[in-house]
Amino acid sequence: MIHTGNRRNMVSFIIKPLLIALLLFSLFGLVWLRSHVVTLEYNLSDLEKKKIECLKERKTLLAEKANILSFGKVETSLRRNYGFVFPERVRVIHVKRQKEPLPYKASLDKKRLIEP
Amino acid sequence: MNKKRAIILSTVIIFSFFAVYLRLTDLMILSHKRLSEKAKLQHIKVEDIHVRRGIIFDRRGRELALNLELESLYCDPESLNLDNESARRLATVMSKEPKVILAKVPKEGRFAWIARKLEDDTAEKIKRLNIKGLGFLTEAKRFYPKGELTSHILGFVGVDNQALEGVELKYDKYLKTQGGKVFFGRDASGRTLSSGVDIEAKGNNVVLTIDEGLQGIVEKELDKAMVRWRAAAASAIMMDPFTGEILALANRPSYNPNSPGSVSSSDRRNRAITDCYEPGSTFKIIIGVASLEEKMAKQDTLFDVSKGSIDAGGKTIRDVHKYGILTFKEVIQKSSNVGSITIGMKLGKERIYKYAKLLGIGEKTGIDLPGEVSGWIRPPEKWSGTSIGAIPIGQEVAVTPLQMLRAYSAIANGGFLVRPHVVSEIISPDGQVLSSLRDKEKKQIISSKTAETFKDILKSVVEEGGTGRSASIEGDEVAGKTGTAQIINPKTKRYSKEKYVSSFIGFVPADNPRLAIIVVIYEPKGQIYGGVVAAPVFRDIANQALSYLNIPRGKDAYEIPLLIAR
Repeated sequence: MIHTGNRRNMVSFIIKPLLIALLLFSLFGLVWLRSHVVTLEYNLSDLEKKKIECLKERKTLLAEKANILSFGKVETSLRRNYGFVFPERVRVIHVKRQKEPLPYKASLDKKRLIEP
Repeated sequence: MNKKRAIILSTVIIFSFFAVYLRLTDLMILSHKRLSEKAKLQHIKVEDIHVRRGIIFDRRGRELALNLELESLYCDPESLNLDNESARRLATVMSKEPKVILAKVPKEGRFAWIARKLEDDTAEKIKRLNIKGLGFLTEAKRFYPKGELTSHILGFVGVDNQALEGVELKYDKYLKTQGGKVFFGRDASGRTLSSGVDIEAKGNNVVLTIDEGLQGIVEKELDKAMVRWRAAAASAIMMDPFTGEILALANRPSYNPNSPGSVSSSDRRNRAITDCYEPGSTFKIIIGVASLEEKMAKQDTLFDVSKGSIDAGGKTIRDVHKYGILTFKEVIQKSSNVGSITIGMKLGKERIYKYAKLLGIGEKTGIDLPGEVSGWIRPPEKWSGTSIGAIPIGQEVAVTPLQMLRAYSAIANGGFLVRPHVVSEIISPDGQVLSSLRDKEKKQIISSKTAETFKDILKSVVEEGGTGRSASIEGDEVAGKTGTAQIINPKTKRYSKEKYVSSFIGFVPADNPRLAIIVVIYEPKGQIYGGVVAAPVFRDIANQALSYLNIPRGKDAYEIPLLIAR
């Protein structure tokens, strides 16, 4: 009986501090997690601001690109700087594109054999 | 003594606790609502979702209207510290007078705009001035990267991005989107936490049927014509005659939609659909089609126009030259007024009116742009005695350039009346096609045989002996008709002897039409005839457009079969 009582005391002697430590650790973990989440949210917020800045920059660049690539601007620039002109249609030859010839292969397939 | 002290101490502690309980009751029960509201205001930041209009693209996906993010300057009058020196420095940066800026600052209130949508460098310079009470908000500014190009189609928006004209106005319900609020958490130092919500709401994108390249060609040639003929105004439209897709539409005078306020409202008018004119000889399509459809005439039916004049209700109408006896085809080819009135008299006013209506005269075309007018043709019972001599040659009627182009497209496409339109698709911000606005059903108004016969006649107009010779293109057959009409002087209410409208309407290649084009030049100086003033503009536009579209020549074209190995 005495032996049993000692064992119980031993268990409670170990478990009680363990439980308290676990409780404290859990509390600390919760606080740590929460602070970490808040830090992440701050980081995310900073990144969102950067994203907005980048999107703003992108929109400006897109507008500049659209402006620079205006048909009129490109045509004027090509004409003035490189002497390009709209081709007179009588000087344009339209080349009809045909399928490339397939290599002949040893086959009795007539359709294949008569292909050019 | 000790006991007395203990009692006093206990009493103090009890009262202290009681005071704390009372304060807690006040904070947590009595003032709970007020305080929690206050806490929310301190910890939660509310921002408006940035509402951005959709992008407008041309048919090849080139941006014609998009948004820029610019900063607007506001002030908080209660905390503003704007002394004379600061006002002077601010005014210098903004290139304005200090009194203009000071006039925008009210004596009370917490918010007032100082300047909207500033350029980036200006905003940076103002920030560097570090004036207390000034702040910036980001706003979207609609930007039209092509400037004047397509201005009459795109329209423009106001300072608050409210649609005011053109496609911007007609398709506003698609382009704009609903706003809303986003809630952010923030700490005592003002740093915000992520909301996890996209702060930008985008409207749907609109794809036009317009091709920037073709539009550029049309606008360039209109500019040349305006200079060459010192004209008061001009319009040109290019359309796919089979689908009604408008490929280009331009007017002169024009304006830059980025600064629409810099020109008069008259320059911003889309004359191609809002202005009526008397079509003159281009209206002879009506009597031509009517007599073919009613089997009253064939191409070789003869008409005696040798007198060179005809009396209609007491009014004498003359031809430019005396022609003798002309076939029906030659009446149209040479644009004989006497021949056309003779045919018109044979048809009678009822049938002329019927076919005018069938070809869409006096009716809105239904184009998806605001401000279209229906034009005007009087019903037969309201015709005067001289009307039968005027209407067959395109007087006493009012049409828009687009109506006339649609009528000629019916000849090009085998007899179908199309609905002209400038928008082909609505696309969601993530690229899904929400609706396709292409017409599937078409209404046949005249037989394909009539259309084919009249097409042959229109081809002869551009051939040797026709009035539209200068519209011919080497290597391709063109079909078209010239028009020269006097303008009514609003003071005298009579036809002006100096002011004319010269026009040419046609399609090319004639046998397999890809483009239907109308060119209208208002009040040209030096020359008046459609065949001299407008037809060359048509030729130059058509020639370049066919090159641009890489359409092989129909006549004399040859192809070299080439084997291309990969």
